[in-house]
Amino acid sequence: SATPSVSYSEPKEYEIAEITVSGARFLDPNALISISGLKVGDRIKVPGDDISNAIKRLWDQGILGDVRISYTKIEGDKIYLDVFLKERPRLSKFTFKGIKKGEIDALTEKIKLIRGKVVDDALVKNTQMTIKKHFEEKGFLNTSVNMVQVEDTARGNTITLRINVNKKKKVKINELAINGNEVFADNKLRRKLKKTKQKNPLRIFTPSKFIASQYEEDKKKLIAFYNEEGYRDALIVSDSVYAHDENTINVVINLEEGEKYHYRNVTWEGNYVYTDTQLAAVLGINKGDVYNIAELEKKLTFNPNGSDITSLYMDDGYLFFNIEPVEVAIEGDSVDIEMRIVEGPQATINQVRVVGNTRTSDHVILREIRTLPGQKFNRSLLIRTQREISTLGYFNPETVNPVPIPNPADGTVDIEYQVEERPSDQIELSGGWGGGGRNGIGVGFVGTLGVVFNNFSTRKLFKWGEWGGVLPSGDGQRLAVRFQASGRQYQTYSFSFTEPWLGGKKRNSFTLSLNHTVSRPSAGYERYYESLGYNVNTFGSFQISGASLSLGRMLKWPDDYFSLTHALSYQRYQLDNYDIFRIQFGNGVAHNLTFNTTIARNSVDNPIFPRGGSTISLSATFTPPYSVLGITGQIKSTGENGTSPDDISMEYHKWMFDSNWFTPLGLGGKLVLSARAHMGFIGRYNKDSPYTFAERFIMGGSGMAGQGVFFAADIIGLRGYQDQSLLGGPALPGQPQSGIVYNKFVTELRYLISPNPSATIFVLGFLEGGNNWNNYSEFNPFKIRRSAGIGARINMAAFGLLGIDYGWGFDPLPGQKGGQFHFTIGQQFR
Amino acid sequence: CSKFTKLQKSTNVEEKYQAAVNYYTKKDYNKASLLFEEIIPLIQGTPEAERAQFYLANAHFQQRDYILSAHYFKKFYETYSRSEFAEEAMYLYAYSLYEDSPSYNLDQTNTYTAIEAMQTFINAYPGSKYKEKCNEIIALLRAKLERKAYENAELYSHKEDYKAAVVAFENFQRSYPDSDYNERAAYLKLVNAYNLAKSSTEAKKRERYESTIEYYENFIDKYAKSRYLREAENIYEACVKIVGEAAGAELQSTKK
Repeated sequence: SATPSVSYSEPKEYEIAEITVSGARFLDPNALISISGLKVGDRIKVPGDDISNAIKRLWDQGILGDVRISYTKIEGDKIYLDVFLKERPRLSKFTFKGIKKGEIDALTEKIKLIRGKVVDDALVKNTQMTIKKHFEEKGFLNTSVNMVQVEDTARGNTITLRINVNKKKKVKINELAINGNEVFADNKLRRKLKKTKQKNPLRIFTPSKFIASQYEEDKKKLIAFYNEEGYRDALIVSDSVYAHDENTINVVINLEEGEKYHYRNVTWEGNYVYTDTQLAAVLGINKGDVYNIAELEKKLTFNPNGSDITSLYMDDGYLFFNIEPVEVAIEGDSVDIEMRIVEGPQATINQVRVVGNTRTSDHVILREIRTLPGQKFNRSLLIRTQREISTLGYFNPETVNPVPIPNPADGTVDIEYQVEERPSDQIELSGGWGGGGRNGIGVGFVGTLGVVFNNFSTRKLFKWGEWGGVLPSGDGQRLAVRFQASGRQYQTYSFSFTEPWLGGKKRNSFTLSLNHTVSRPSAGYERYYESLGYNVNTFGSFQISGASLSLGRMLKWPDDYFSLTHALSYQRYQLDNYDIFRIQFGNGVAHNLTFNTTIARNSVDNPIFPRGGSTISLSATFTPPYSVLGITGQIKSTGENGTSPDDISMEYHKWMFDSNWFTPLGLGGKLVLSARAHMGFIGRYNKDSPYTFAERFIMGGSGMAGQGVFFAADIIGLRGYQDQSLLGGPALPGQPQSGIVYNKFVTELRYLISPNPSATIFVLGFLEGGNNWNNYSEFNPFKIRRSAGIGARINMAAFGLLGIDYGWGFDPLPGQKGGQFHFTIGQQFR
Repeated sequence: CSKFTKLQKSTNVEEKYQAAVNYYTKKDYNKASLLFEEIIPLIQGTPEAERAQFYLANAHFQQRDYILSAHYFKKFYETYSRSEFAEEAMYLYAYSLYEDSPSYNLDQTNTYTAIEAMQTFINAYPGSKYKEKCNEIIALLRAKLERKAYENAELYSHKEDYKAAVVAFENFQRSYPDSDYNERAAYLKLVNAYNLAKSSTEAKKRERYESTIEYYENFIDKYAKSRYLREAENIYEACVKIVGEAAGAELQSTKK
């Protein structure tokens, strides 16, 4: 009888009687049958999924050029199958020629060639395209890529791919011509083409190159610019790109500007919750205003600098709110807009979840979240939570993503916060020569070993399995240990532990810190100071030991960006024949018991590169007023010339003010202005006692503490001047060499180069000024030493913020030069 | 250089395969997995490939590298669904996911995948000797999810976000009706509802006291001998008194 035909309309069930493989040269037929998942004796439907799955399985191996399964015969319900395949050579290796090592590495990443895969035309073509595109994006439009397949002798049926690349010369734009513009000048329009630039030897940051995809984007930007100015009909009639000579091209854009439009009537449809007048007030568009679609869009959906219609609804549960502006009439240069609104129902938050936290415990994130179950959906709180999770430092701030998942059936919405962990621990390990001081005296080996664990967990200390890293982590506690030494001469140890949510109920932070410093001047110091007329016998040693406890809490009033911190600290200074500081105290013990209160407000949106918000802080520190109480004073017993030991309690009060305002200036949030003001005052309780000899202000340079040995002082930076050079006035013999009042003002323009969280980079230019006085009679906040300069910062997850600045001081101290380089580690707050 | 690095550099695939199998049988899983990884792309489609892929997966499993072993076991049973190792591979895939499931207070994506994989395994091999173990593991993983939901609801209670706590405990009761945490969940829901009522505006107070009473009634119906009974009763009494007074006052004013 005739072979029964296989019809897709009536699949039949057969039993496999035999499977043969044809076309295999190097591959093993039985292994292939095993991969296909088909077996003699199986009952399969023909045509059906079994056959197509078998083909898919074989194909997924990536080793075949072609696969077909057919039947050779059918007898009753028995089917004889044949797997026909075409083998292709496999890739054993690939090599590049004509490009540099770095480029090879970058391309190897991109082309994703896998050894052992079959080499077919598609693979060759795709690889070629990828390489060409890679170089075109860098402006090498004439790149040629030649792929050569060489049979590999080491193993049968394999080939080596030789990739010859010739980048040729970079193609630049000779002339960028714009025609048809009457309202705006050529140069203004050329500036709108951000990435497509005419060649100009003076432009450094965006070199002239032509990249088709970016050119298309730039054309859209040009039209967007016209639209923003009210030219809603503006369009590019035609444009062309043609070769000028071998390495340059010309670009011509022909424009039609059209008419400038203005708003006439704005009407509202579908609004029940708010009246037309209320909505119009929020929108803030008046009859006769320039018709700007981009601005309108902002005021309707999301306005980072003010109110918008959508947040009016979305902050009150209207998750499904939608608004569409429709141009209902265009007459002459006037546009009538009808706002079509769908308010939808209010949604209540049901579940709030966190996903992606592979290291940080739920409660550390959940406690920061402001969108709570049972509340009405609120977009502003959602955005604020996103910002606050970003500033925790445990997650990649660019990928924190709140996703509302509505359940229309019961009018609720679940919110899923997606996070991506990133390393938050920092290690400081440095060594080098230095540490002696400003005069190159007593130079020795300086070593620093410091670790900061920002996401520590004391709870898991004894649960080895749950550590999630080299140390127990995930509970958001901070543990910092630091040790710095320069030989026998100077050692400092510090330890601090912070629990940001003491008790877990509220954001009450608790910090315990301990420190200890020992200093013994070296022979070099002694010789130096001897040459200045000091008595060498007064060079003993000093030690500072201290402990402090602080409790901080977030406030709800005046707004919830405020925080209040109280700290109790005790420092003990022990000086043993030590008169270097000339602070009228060279021998004995001084006690410094203080209580500090700080009120601060912090609303910055990102800790590393803030684009908006501000920080303000006011701090007051008091010692007990011993002399007023008549107990004992700062001048309890003064040893004559530092010969007999003293035992005194320090007495002072100290006030500090710091503020920093961030204003985005544009360029997509990359250009930001930071304006800072800082000041500090030290006072006394008793007119007759001297000002405190320690805890004073020292200004100048990078503002890094721990540069050289200084006796318990606040180090305040001032770029363009030498480190710690502004000591508050003439350093008279027998006078303390540091200030009791200072102020400082900074304006800094910052530009973000790379937002990549593993290496955030920005550059800055600054103008600053400040001064430091050691008496109130000369204090004049406007008599400042000024400077200007440039700098760069890089923030790497494992090292923190590293910085370099070059500053020029306009009012140098006698004997100093104007230009100074400054290096910084970590954020400098003052 | 050592024998092993020589083997790594060798281009003789057969020799490498034999060496890898030898390392595997001698339980040197680290070296075995390194060699298998190198040769597998080159031996695909040969009879050796099947064994090599299973051994590679198991070598990672033995080294407790569960992310990789899950990946390779999955790849294995998808490729060789008819293999004698297929059942074991599928089970070990699910088991690797189970081992990789983190503590309850972290992201539970892996836990969900592990439960799903265990379930798929039981469906595919209902007669398997691993079935019992699978059911045990599924129960363990579910308990983990249960604890997460409970602890997160309790966080709201601890933070005194009363309304959020009531909603979260209610969600918990609905999702895990047979959980051991339910007694405490029901009690804490009652406490939070009472605190919510106390801190409400006058307009909402009565309604919220009434729902607190309802929560109390549900609570004693289910847990008549609860260790929280005394505290719950106190709340009930306070609510009844306030609601009663309010009703009385209302009656008075309508009479007038």
